[in-house]
Amino acid sequence: MLAAIFEFLFKYPRLVFEQGSFAFGATRSMSAVALIAAVAAAYALWTYRRLAAVRGRDRGLLIGARVALFLIVLFALMQPMLRLKVAVPQENFVGILLDDSRSMQVADYAGGPRSGFIHQQLGKADAPLLTELGKRFQLRVFRFSSTAERLQSTGDLKFEGTGTRLGEALDRARDELNGLPVAGLVLVSDGADNSENTLDESIAGLKSQAMPVFAVGVGRERLSRDVQVTRVETPRRALKGSSLVIDVVVTQNGYAGTKVPLIVEDDGRMISTQDITLPRDGEAETTHVRFKVSDLGPRKITFRIPVQGQEEVAQNNQREALIDVYNRREKILYLEGEPRPEAKFIRQATDEDDNLQVVLLQRTAEATVSVPDKYLRLGVDSGEELINGFPATREELFGYRGIILGSVEASAFTPEQQRMLEDFVDVRGGSLLALGGGRSFAEGGWGGTPLSDALPIVLDPGSRGPQFPPAELIVRTTPTGTNHPATQITDKAEDAPAKWRDLPPVTSLNPVTEVKPGATVLLTGINERNKSQVVLAFQRYGRGKALVMPVQDTWMWRMHAKMDLKDKTHHTFWQRLVRWVVDGVPDRVMASVSPDRVQRGEPVTVTAEVSDPEYKGINDGRITARITSPSGKTEDVPMEWTVEHDGEYRARFTPTEDGLYKVSVGGTAKDGRDVGRGEVNARVAPSDAEYFDAAMRAPLLRRVAEDTEGRFFKADDTAKLVDAITFSGKGITVVEEKELWDMPIILMLLLGLMGGEWMFRRARGLA
Amino acid sequence: MTLGRRRTVLALAMCVGVAAIATPLAQRSYRQSYSGNVRYDGKFVFIRLSYPWYGGRGAPWAHDWPRGETHFLKIFSELTSVQMHVTESSIMSLSDPELFKFPVAYMAEPGFWGMGDEEVNILRNYLLKGGFLIMDDFRGRDWGNVDLQFSRMFPQGQWVDLDANHPIFHSFFEINSLDIIPQAYDAGRPIFRAMFQDNDPSKRMLAIAAYNTDISEFWEWSDTGYAPIDVSNEAYKIGINLFMYGITH
Repeated sequence: MLAAIFEFLFKYPRLVFEQGSFAFGATRSMSAVALIAAVAAAYALWTYRRLAAVRGRDRGLLIGARVALFLIVLFALMQPMLRLKVAVPQENFVGILLDDSRSMQVADYAGGPRSGFIHQQLGKADAPLLTELGKRFQLRVFRFSSTAERLQSTGDLKFEGTGTRLGEALDRARDELNGLPVAGLVLVSDGADNSENTLDESIAGLKSQAMPVFAVGVGRERLSRDVQVTRVETPRRALKGSSLVIDVVVTQNGYAGTKVPLIVEDDGRMISTQDITLPRDGEAETTHVRFKVSDLGPRKITFRIPVQGQEEVAQNNQREALIDVYNRREKILYLEGEPRPEAKFIRQATDEDDNLQVVLLQRTAEATVSVPDKYLRLGVDSGEELINGFPATREELFGYRGIILGSVEASAFTPEQQRMLEDFVDVRGGSLLALGGGRSFAEGGWGGTPLSDALPIVLDPGSRGPQFPPAELIVRTTPTGTNHPATQITDKAEDAPAKWRDLPPVTSLNPVTEVKPGATVLLTGINERNKSQVVLAFQRYGRGKALVMPVQDTWMWRMHAKMDLKDKTHHTFWQRLVRWVVDGVPDRVMASVSPDRVQRGEPVTVTAEVSDPEYKGINDGRITARITSPSGKTEDVPMEWTVEHDGEYRARFTPTEDGLYKVSVGGTAKDGRDVGRGEVNARVAPSDAEYFDAAMRAPLLRRVAEDTEGRFFKADDTAKLVDAITFSGKGITVVEEKELWDMPIILMLLLGLMGGEWMFRRARGLA
Repeated sequence: MTLGRRRTVLALAMCVGVAAIATPLAQRSYRQSYSGNVRYDGKFVFIRLSYPWYGGRGAPWAHDWPRGETHFLKIFSELTSVQMHVTESSIMSLSDPELFKFPVAYMAEPGFWGMGDEEVNILRNYLLKGGFLIMDDFRGRDWGNVDLQFSRMFPQGQWVDLDANHPIFHSFFEINSLDIIPQAYDAGRPIFRAMFQDNDPSKRMLAIAAYNTDISEFWEWSDTGYAPIDVSNEAYKIGINLFMYGITH
């Protein structure tokens, strides 16, 4: 409607004004006439100024009206015009790119699927848009989804493509039309691009070759009835028996407030379900889903919400994730500086977990002048392990995956051992948990040591020793701690607040209140004076993570008189905390694949980080990735050192079968020593990415169009598409002048001003 | 009466005499010097368990108190890195909920020990949650009472006689032979009996009974010349090992 009014008033559509350049076409004689008119206008003004009958605002209005009148006449006399570069008919090429992906089946265009627009407007030789384009341009038609190719007939479109890669499609069309006079590319798509690459390079290429993109967005920008499991973030690996807390992001339209079950399945077997209330339309809701992984090997975990009535896209109600569940005993070194119950109860808790091996090195007597420290060793694998106390070499220390540091003073370590502790986190990528006690943290002289850099708390430089009597702390979770896997003491989230409330207090000798900027606090404690202090906090440091727990007696959660004998809170807490402590700690060979889910024929990049026993990267090794296909075929792919990072190797392979590919990386160092092995899986399956975020993405299409000097059109408003290409100024063009002096708006303004002035004068008694 | 028998009788008479003097002294000292229990602060506290006694003066649970633990704590503190209250100790009954803040407890003369039904449940919980009980200073037919009281907590519980290979005899000092453990009675060789969780010796030890001996007797009189120094030393060594094991296992 507005466009019609515009065209009526200004004679031409808005597009012409946007594409054209403004100019005056008056000849010299006409300019002289205009000059005379200007003099006449000046005379008129002068006479107005002399009129004694009109004063003040009235005189200003009359002068203004008269000046405007003369200016409009002057403007018309100067013969205003638009100069446009117009594509010469049939001399230019236009590439038409048709989206052939699955998302074009979504039924949100004119009561039918999006593909209906292509069928109606471009599907046949006499289809309206195709006909109009064909009248002015030579046409080249392409189809695209994951790949792009020339299309002989629109009948070949199946709308079954499992991916949408706009960048590759634009690149393909640009290459095909390279060297030809191109007026533009018409991109017909819902814009649901799901490639991992940005469009920046493709857009830059189009700009450099002056190929504007005229994007036609098909579908609605927001689906009216749809529930979508938008994002699921899972670890790639998990220790057998681990309780995982996974963030599942759900979005929806049309079902706000509806309660639906969120189901988790392990290869089809339900392992968890919980009811969630769907958020408001268009909003995202994050749900924390808990479940335990018990079965070994690569597990396909599905997060699913049952399809609701009348959903426009049913396929996006579930997400799949691949989690490699492994089984081994994670070995953790627990160094305790004094015999105390905390160590005993922690071991009782972790000993119940077959996947944890907490090796306790407990100092039972301190060194004298002639006798070294005396240690009690529990949980060691051999009589030789830790026979000389705390490891003196990196190789020995880095053999553990986690360290628990009890109440032990800094001076119990040599300077090199203190550096080793820091490097255990920073370089080896291990996890270190420092517990509270009379010899811990600032109270144990740890301020200013290398390890203090790794810890997530600020050590009080003014500490005068442990606080006695110790602070009694009621422990509470922080908002982050409420849903953190390390602090889950109940199987059901709703039971946790009451459980934390019922736990007896613990005590602390270390008044830790300040954390570093990058730290995350999971548990806090409130003392008798209602002041809070840190009970559990962590931060990432280098490749690993460092945690602190400045309390001395979590064993109260087991032993206290008010705790029921059957209550396993203490055991659960420590098992889950220690499991999280060692979660993600790297091995000497760490292999990864990118992406971890592909379709047949798509390349997979294997990256491996290979380290020596001190976790220094091994360069120049003979490293090979053994690829085993789902059918059992094996292929050895040599990996090359990337040079960018020490110990980083890379290789590529292209899967040809659907299913699970196993990738095992191993080899030898330059000196011939075996480096060990690291394994990872890659899943090859048709992608379901097309069904996610399937609404038409106008902003993306608009950006592609505008960045290439083209235009964006919605599918139901393509009437000006052909003109837009015609006037784009690209390709072989001629200059066309469009006169503007006879625009209806000029006549209307003239009449309006004259009439208005006359009426005003009458009203004032001047006429 | 042979010379050997006369010596035995003489020794017995001396023991009885010493006990007759020592016990009232200990009780008087208890009444005079006991100033209340130590408040929990995370440090180790020597906990002596009390139990009902209706036999007049000289409650058997208080035998060797306070000199026994006073001497022991000095040695224990001197030799180990356990953070502890050295000059204070506590006396607790099973009905005191504070007991659960101290996972190692000591009981003297369990031959005279008795419990109400509620206390049976409390001590059972204490032991199964992670507590550790050391029983000392009893002999002969006293065992029957210890067995009876434990059978009330653990009807299927079985006692296991330990040998010197058990880790408890190596938790601090290396005690390679139980023959060196001092004998305070005339009831045969000292026996160390333990009860384990689920009657499985590979699992946690719940309690240990130093039967046919009185280790704390040697602690108590170690500063008087009552026993040879090397014998007292052995008593301290076994005591430290028992407590160290209880704290660490």
